[in-house]
Amino acid sequence: MRKLGPYLILLLLLTAGFSLATVLQERVSGWSNRGDSDNVLKVLLGDGRRLFANHFFVQADISFHSGYYPSIFDQANRPKDNRHLTAKEGEPAAEEHEKQMNFLGPPRDWIERFGRHFIITGHTHLEGNNRSEVLPWLKLSAELDPQKIETYTVAAYWLRDLGKIKEAERFLREGFLNNPESYEILLELGRLYYEHNHDVARARKIWDLALRRWSEQEAANKQPDLLKLDQIAVNLAHLEEQEGKLARAIQLLELCKKGSPHPEALQKQIDELKQKLAAPPPSAAPEAR
Amino acid sequence: MKTVLAISGIVIKELYRRKDFYVLFVLTAVITLLMGSVSFFHDTNSVRYVKDIALLLIWISALVIAIGTTARQIPAERENRTIFPLLAKPVTRWQVILGKFAGCWLACGLALIVLYLFFGIVSGSRDHHWPLLNFCTALWLHWVMLGVVVAFVLLGSVVFTAPSSNATITFIVVLGILFLGRYLNQVALQQPEPLRSIVYGLYFLIPHLEWYDVRDLIIYDQNLVGWMDCALATLYAVIYMAVFLLGTWLVFRRKALNL
Amino acid sequence: MEAIVETKNLRVEFRAQSSGQAKKVAVKDLNLSIRAGEVFGFLGPNGAGKTTTMNVLLGFVNATSGAASLFGVDVREPIARQRIGYLPELTYYYKFLTAEELLRFYARIFSIPRTEADRRIDQLLKLVELESARQRPIKTYSKGMQQRVGLAQALINNPDLLILDEPTSGLDPLGRMKVREIIQRLKNEGKTVFFSSHELGEVETVCDRVAIINQGELKVEGRVADLVEKHQANLEQIFLNIIGYQPQLSA
Repeated sequence: MRKLGPYLILLLLLTAGFSLATVLQERVSGWSNRGDSDNVLKVLLGDGRRLFANHFFVQADISFHSGYYPSIFDQANRPKDNRHLTAKEGEPAAEEHEKQMNFLGPPRDWIERFGRHFIITGHTHLEGNNRSEVLPWLKLSAELDPQKIETYTVAAYWLRDLGKIKEAERFLREGFLNNPESYEILLELGRLYYEHNHDVARARKIWDLALRRWSEQEAANKQPDLLKLDQIAVNLAHLEEQEGKLARAIQLLELCKKGSPHPEALQKQIDELKQKLAAPPPSAAPEAR
Repeated sequence: MKTVLAISGIVIKELYRRKDFYVLFVLTAVITLLMGSVSFFHDTNSVRYVKDIALLLIWISALVIAIGTTARQIPAERENRTIFPLLAKPVTRWQVILGKFAGCWLACGLALIVLYLFFGIVSGSRDHHWPLLNFCTALWLHWVMLGVVVAFVLLGSVVFTAPSSNATITFIVVLGILFLGRYLNQVALQQPEPLRSIVYGLYFLIPHLEWYDVRDLIIYDQNLVGWMDCALATLYAVIYMAVFLLGTWLVFRRKALNL
Repeated sequence: MEAIVETKNLRVEFRAQSSGQAKKVAVKDLNLSIRAGEVFGFLGPNGAGKTTTMNVLLGFVNATSGAASLFGVDVREPIARQRIGYLPELTYYYKFLTAEELLRFYARIFSIPRTEADRRIDQLLKLVELESARQRPIKTYSKGMQQRVGLAQALINNPDLLILDEPTSGLDPLGRMKVREIIQRLKNEGKTVFFSSHELGEVETVCDRVAIINQGELKVEGRVADLVEKHQANLEQIFLNIIGYQPQLSA
């Protein structure tokens, strides 16, 4: 009996532990829902994972530049936004970015001069087969912070560029599930339906929703995101024009005039549409005669 | 020379008989293979992120091996009193320092060969590209950098009594140099005098270990460092090794042997 | 006869731990001379200066003044240690090595050729009765086995002088007897042995001559038999008298 004593105590303690676990299980779910997540990173890092998400997003940018990237000490020269990640050559964002990335001035001393043999000193962007190199970092960033909207839009841009339309749609839908209020994701989703799937009806529906979401969130803001409004409204106006709904198209173009960097071009477009609207429909003329 | 080699042989034996290296290698291999096996957006072309993660882990592992192994050498000799029978033989303290240094540095070299071999196989099998010369240059520069770290930690081990405090302090200093060393001149310019001169002085005084970190050149398939630059960087590292080893000897020659 | 170990007015002072304290004099003007083939016992209570004297002889500590030599060579020269073997007190040898590897390491330091080293390692492991454990890591050894492997390493270079610092310290009676036997055998082979101990009985058994030191000063030196005759007391009583021990009388 004496020999069995410690084993019996062990058994008793284990039974008590299991019994207590059944009672505590329900209570614990009230304290924290971390354990309920099916995301390993969330279970491991909790909300602290969001801190790393930005790091991985920057890592994607570094990868886009093949390692040529300003440090925190060149903060002033650091890309101020992520538009360059999705900007085409010749666009204003790309030109501005070119200036920003000119952060390596002449070396200040021999240590710096010699040290430059060991680092990348040329400003390049990913091209060809290497374009997919940004994707793993963006996926990791989204895993760590599902509320970081730009991750989805930038990744969708690159996936579309690589012809991975299904993956882009799936990723944007995942982003929309996590951020149901995001007009940015809706804008990208609409683009995908319009440009790649040629599903005009769906694209219009989505951009309409995007416009509504923008109005709900940004219209009352002191500094609303006019750039995005411009993009949503121009795309939608283009669709309405194709459908022959010119009045609605004019209304939409008027809306984006305040945010556009080239309002005069928009005004020209509005004037053309107004002229079209004023002119009698071509089929009505013979009847009149 | 025979004495130095005999002492260094003991250090190398210690490395492969302890579990530290195996744990670090398995950890590096598991994380790298795990990351490599994940398919992001059904894309099989991305390889740079695997290279990036693998090289980061190799750098961390190598630093842990170098600092961990070196930090305990002389304190363990003193604590276990093996320094007494050793110095009772025709062995000088300078030979003990050189033997320990050579042993730790060679042990780091062996560990690096294993780690870079693994890296080469992983990256080559995904990339279908085998830039052996680039890998060898990166390995050489990495090893040379570890020589400076080993000499520095050896100096720390005769200054600080506890290996743990030495390891912590030297790890912070080495990481500080790797992250900030390159930018200290920029930081100096933003400071008022006399802080500016102090920071600038520090910039010229510290060993610029960050030069030897050519991971980006490997990851992004850039042209690697030229032979002349490689040789100059090696010479620069050798000078710092000599400085730290001489410093170690100056402290150790007057040091009481028992702890 | 040639003096193997010699100290002349040897003085060792240690710096004060704090500013208010005076310098600590560990050894005061010590004059010793040990001749070839002798077994010399160095006695004294804890803190008497025995280990410090040995440390000077081995070059671990520099003397403040005076001189010390081994085989006529100044102890500060590493070559002076070419012909000596040293067994320190309570040493924990590299635990990841086997006894054989440890002895091979020390043999390499003495540049002993491989075949000769193999022969000596076999011979020494037999002498210290560690043949069966030669392939086992030292971390698995008992205290007695560690002390014996220490003795083996001290003999790897076939030294002419052995310096043993409390060689039987911490050993059980059987272990002590074995160490004593080894010292006796070395004496028979004509080696010079200089050892410190607290075990007076052991000293009486194996030593030709003894020196008793207290508070850094040499109090007495001579043949054991001569001292016993001169003081009309056994070695233990002589020792206690010299260190000033007063037995308390029971009420």
